[in-house]
Amino acid sequence: MTDTPLVAGLTWQELLVRRSFIELDALGRAAALLDPGSLRVLAGPFDRLESPWLVPQGITPQADDGTVIARGTVDGRPVVIASIEQGFQGGGTGEVSGAKISQALLLAAADSRAGTPTAAVILFETGGVRLQEANLGLNAVAEICSAVLDLRPLAPVIGIVAGTVGSFGGMSIAAGLCTWLIVTPQARIGLNGPAVIEQEGGIDEFDSSDHALIWAVDGGQQRYATGLADDLVPDDADLLRAAVIDAINAGVAEPGRHRSQRLDVLASRLATLDPATPLDPRDLRTLWGRHYEPVPAALPGSPASDHTGGQPPVTRGRTWLHALSGDLVPEPMIPSVLSATTNTARYLAVVPDPDNRFYRARQGQVGVTESLALAQAVRDLIEADKDAQHKRAIIAVVDLPSQAYGRYEEIAGLHQAMAASTDAYHAARIAGHPIVAVVVGTALSGGFLTHGLQANQILALDDPGVEIHAMHKAAAARITLRTVDQLDDLAKTIAPLSYRVQDWAKLGFCDGLLNVGNADAPTAHDVETVGTAIADAVQRARSGPVDLSNRLDSDAAVTTRHASRAVRDLLARQWNSEL
Amino acid sequence: MQTLNYRFPAQKAASRAVHIGVVASGDLEILLEPPAVDDPPDSVVVRVRTSVNGFDTIWHDVLERFFTRTPLAGRWELNDFGATPGVVNLRLRQASEAAAAADGPI
Repeated sequence: MTDTPLVAGLTWQELLVRRSFIELDALGRAAALLDPGSLRVLAGPFDRLESPWLVPQGITPQADDGTVIARGTVDGRPVVIASIEQGFQGGGTGEVSGAKISQALLLAAADSRAGTPTAAVILFETGGVRLQEANLGLNAVAEICSAVLDLRPLAPVIGIVAGTVGSFGGMSIAAGLCTWLIVTPQARIGLNGPAVIEQEGGIDEFDSSDHALIWAVDGGQQRYATGLADDLVPDDADLLRAAVIDAINAGVAEPGRHRSQRLDVLASRLATLDPATPLDPRDLRTLWGRHYEPVPAALPGSPASDHTGGQPPVTRGRTWLHALSGDLVPEPMIPSVLSATTNTARYLAVVPDPDNRFYRARQGQVGVTESLALAQAVRDLIEADKDAQHKRAIIAVVDLPSQAYGRYEEIAGLHQAMAASTDAYHAARIAGHPIVAVVVGTALSGGFLTHGLQANQILALDDPGVEIHAMHKAAAARITLRTVDQLDDLAKTIAPLSYRVQDWAKLGFCDGLLNVGNADAPTAHDVETVGTAIADAVQRARSGPVDLSNRLDSDAAVTTRHASRAVRDLLARQWNSEL
Repeated sequence: MQTLNYRFPAQKAASRAVHIGVVASGDLEILLEPPAVDDPPDSVVVRVRTSVNGFDTIWHDVLERFFTRTPLAGRWELNDFGATPGVVNLRLRQASEAAAAADGPI
């Protein structure tokens, strides 16, 4: 029995005395990792910071919104743990649970800056954004990613995916940003879950009833064997604690060595893949290997999109990129990622590429190669302006239907590719490049997390064709077991659920809703309106904070995000009490 | 979701706050707190929020039976996600035992 995957590394005697980690609830998991007696829960159940959005939808809330924040020590070192309760709403990230994680990370960063390095451990068990809190959950994930990146240079951020839910959705991007990622054989990590891919792409794309396939693609052993996780540990509380101690003692990673910064590795790995050729996920273990290092170039006849040379489809993204950059001829990073660079700014857009070899990303979705190209475009500008006093702005022109829902994308580790672009945008923001996102069309789900949501300033056209959400309407309805009509009805009173851009603008992170005459074919006046708004936003970004705190301090946030603000204030009060 | 409020007679008051359980499928969480200063010291005050509507009578009977045997005064909040009466009973016992544990052996 000792060589079966489920008990890897354990003798049968060890197996008998083993204390399962997976069977523990969120609080039990945090307690199992911390030094005995050191655990102190912050913003716990009796503080009653429950979600304000669930009761109006007829859903029973949980008193701590399903996320335990615990301070304590590990091997004597100060640590904060964010442990997601997988039983509550599938571990979905809501406004409150998300704010608890990001604010805890920011407090750890503040302590680290003040001379007390405070590591963070995030226990990822989540299906992704809680669709009942849609846009607020999506933004919460962007704030968590930003906070992970703020803390990571100062103290290690350790991710653990133990199972059984695993890590899916935007939170997997955060997992891809961690200093060190620990998995068990029961863990799964992916961007899109199998059921969602089957729903979006059909059963031929992903058969979500095929458990062997799911673990072959997303499983902890596979992610470890292909270098997308750093440590593989059996389901044993003591062994996981030992792994966390090792990771904390190892400290922060060298700048540039984080997986999400290694564009060289990502590029070399993606160059070996072509969805036109069937690939057994297990082959990646030899093709890519366990170490996250560049792999040899692809064989002759390597994958390249087979371009038919036809006219690219006209979309709002392409149109506005062209118009805003002063009719420069955009330079394609790849056919689906356009870049136009002026003396003052680099404009970026993801556009459809009907010949994309990743066929699930042909309609403008953000897939693996788009994420890499965005990251490269952003990193190139950071490098070019490295010595400049005045950093050029980055304008993310956003018009994308979603991230790419595909089996190949998951095999390749879409979450890790998206972490690369998230990391790049964050790095540019911290370096002083003003980042302005302009939503001219749809901005859905993980696509928006990758291209737009790390911006200092977010603008959107006030137009019926502009839609910002965690998932497109039909899918969101199916997943939350509602009809589209029911969803529309609820959205009238529950702002984060709404697909209307005017409602999105009330959530606290809209820095301008712009009126244009024709969003599809902008007039000179429209272009001037938007151009002026961008210039103003760039100025605000230059004088404002480089973090995302303005999303909690805006006038709209004071009204709509009062729960997030309550989390921030309570955690700050409780952080140092009793010490 | 349905919110149900009940009150039962009690003798002894819970001496500490206790949190038990998770709002997971087929489960519930219980928050038990000692009676507040202006609460009657001899009453069990229960608020149930349940995801399943229409089981008022069953909730009443399960709770009445439990608090007849365990008349522990305090504020009881139950956040339920479709737990069966057996699970509800188990969680109530866990909470009452944990609240009593602070007093030493019963």
